[in-house]
Amino acid sequence: MNEFLSILGDLASGFGTAAQPFNLLMLLIGVLLGLVIGVLPGLGGTSGVAILLPVTVHIASGGPGGATSAVILLCGVYWGALFGGVVTSILFNIPGEPWSVVLLFDGFPLAKRKGRPGLALSSSFLASFVGALLATLLFTFFSKPLADIAIRFGPPELFAVFILSFTTLVGLGAESPLKSVMMIGFGLLLAAVGFDTLTGSPRLAFGHIEVLSGIGFVPVTIGLFGIGEILASAEESGIGHVERLSARVGFKDIREAFGALRQRLHLILPISVIGFFFGSLPGHGATAGSFLGYGLARQYSKNKADFGKGEISGIMAPQAAADSAAVGSLVPMIALGVPGSPTSAVIMAGLFIWGLNPGPLLFVEHKDFVWGLIASVYLGHLLTFLICLTTVPLLAMIMRTPYAIITPFIVIISIIGAYSLNNSLFDVGVTVVFGVVGYWLRKMKYPLAPLVVALVLGDSTERTLRQSLIASGGNPLILVGSPIAAALMALAALMILLPFAKSLLPRRRTASPAA
Amino acid sequence: MRQYEVATAAILMLIAAVAMFDTRAGALPDPSGTAPGGLGPGFYPFWAAALIFVTGGAVAYRALVSALPREGVFKDRRSIAAVVTLIVPVIVATSSLAWTGFYAMTAAYMGFFMLSVGRYRWYWAGAAAVLLPAAIYAAFELGFRVPLPKSLLYPAVPF
Repeated sequence: MNEFLSILGDLASGFGTAAQPFNLLMLLIGVLLGLVIGVLPGLGGTSGVAILLPVTVHIASGGPGGATSAVILLCGVYWGALFGGVVTSILFNIPGEPWSVVLLFDGFPLAKRKGRPGLALSSSFLASFVGALLATLLFTFFSKPLADIAIRFGPPELFAVFILSFTTLVGLGAESPLKSVMMIGFGLLLAAVGFDTLTGSPRLAFGHIEVLSGIGFVPVTIGLFGIGEILASAEESGIGHVERLSARVGFKDIREAFGALRQRLHLILPISVIGFFFGSLPGHGATAGSFLGYGLARQYSKNKADFGKGEISGIMAPQAAADSAAVGSLVPMIALGVPGSPTSAVIMAGLFIWGLNPGPLLFVEHKDFVWGLIASVYLGHLLTFLICLTTVPLLAMIMRTPYAIITPFIVIISIIGAYSLNNSLFDVGVTVVFGVVGYWLRKMKYPLAPLVVALVLGDSTERTLRQSLIASGGNPLILVGSPIAAALMALAALMILLPFAKSLLPRRRTASPAA
Repeated sequence: MRQYEVATAAILMLIAAVAMFDTRAGALPDPSGTAPGGLGPGFYPFWAAALIFVTGGAVAYRALVSALPREGVFKDRRSIAAVVTLIVPVIVATSSLAWTGFYAMTAAYMGFFMLSVGRYRWYWAGAAAVLLPAAIYAAFELGFRVPLPKSLLYPAVPF
């Protein structure tokens, strides 16, 4: 009880620091810049924070709030970019960040095919806010014990998490689970192209230098979803068709999103907790968390058949998981000095530049800084949420732009998104090729989601597998050696067997009357 | 429909077969100790490809034995024309990027699309062809210092 009251006291003093006019101004600037960075293709939270890092040196050394103002500015950019990245995913089918890839599965179908961009955007912003709020509460009260648990997740446990992420997607949107498994294999194969990160040997490059750096998930995803969707809609509706949009683009969508959230709280809250925990795992925790959030929402939703066609749970669950994971990625950074995500790694670099040492002593030596940061997470998300929500009707109007303007615009931002990540024209070519591939696979009813999940997580899956085997001297039993890994693997086995069992059941039922 | 289903699975199986052939040296765990952890660089891609090959075979077999509708995959000739009309300019624009640079390509593509598909008047298409690259230049090159591909005339012209 005493500890609880002491945390509340620290939090109150943190709010006192974060609410100082200069810090509020930094937060506002950070959030607005982050929103712009998130909306622009090819730029994400990590690059936004990295661009502003040199500016924060002056703020930390000469500003009235010192390092606290600097970290508030950077975190503001992070939160803004998280919300902003959603816009291109939902409106144009082009992902900004690895964890916003999952929004393509239901966000875009709700915005375009069902003509409800306002509802899709407000649902996503609302889920982001709820997920982040819950995660910040967990961050406030349980950061130290959670960081201790997270650090115990070694390569075998992470490998089991990745396998579980794949298995939750078997059967998604496909007539046959076989096609899902085939697409997982395709994604894993694409992820293996290029230099092997452990030995440096080239793989599947066939003598082409450009291929050695690998096939990135961003150009492939932009092609599969962005260009592929343009081709598919041209075939379905013809060139120059006018989008059928709901007449209710406006604040009514926001009210409806609140209603949808109330009905799905039983799903969103536990998934936010899962997202927070996976976010606190080093590396790709947030991305795995968002995919796992989507898979679990699909497994436990009443509207399972609507997933992939614009189901609101398919937007809210992964978005809540992604935002809570982003907050979670700060936990190991602050509590242990281990970054949980690429963006938090850049923020951690800032901490070193400003003369702070992240780790357990930070809570003791720089209490004002830590609690000012935690309070700014609450304020930052509230500010971002309010800005985004008020602009929903405006953003939704983008979908009313005439076909002959919006289509070349989407192609152009797809090219920027593909190119600007690695300054590579090869990546632009990959986008166009996968645009055609995605269009064809969609026609043949191959699900694209498992392909993308496997491509995004493929590298990490292979790395954790091989790290585990190196640690055990080649003994594969290490993969189920710990209770956590064994439980996760058993769950994964169950997930993969269920769709196959279900695909056999109806046949038996239909066969029996004839017999 | 059946022949397209079988052909798609066969193409994916062919890709998988090429990948399996290329990585066959590391397909099996190597207990000799030369590969760290007993797994060489070829293990993971080989078995990913094998997964595609086996499931691809099963998908093709199911397509052959099950009753699939006989009609083609395209609705009509007009729908094929729509897809070709869209993808050809995209291929031309992206393959010329190394010579024209991003900004000239954007101007040409935007103007062409608005004139040919949207049937806009030339001055609207012209305005969009100038304003869109200018806005992208301001945001990326000047605002965030992110360089986009320049034409062969660079640095004589700034784009």
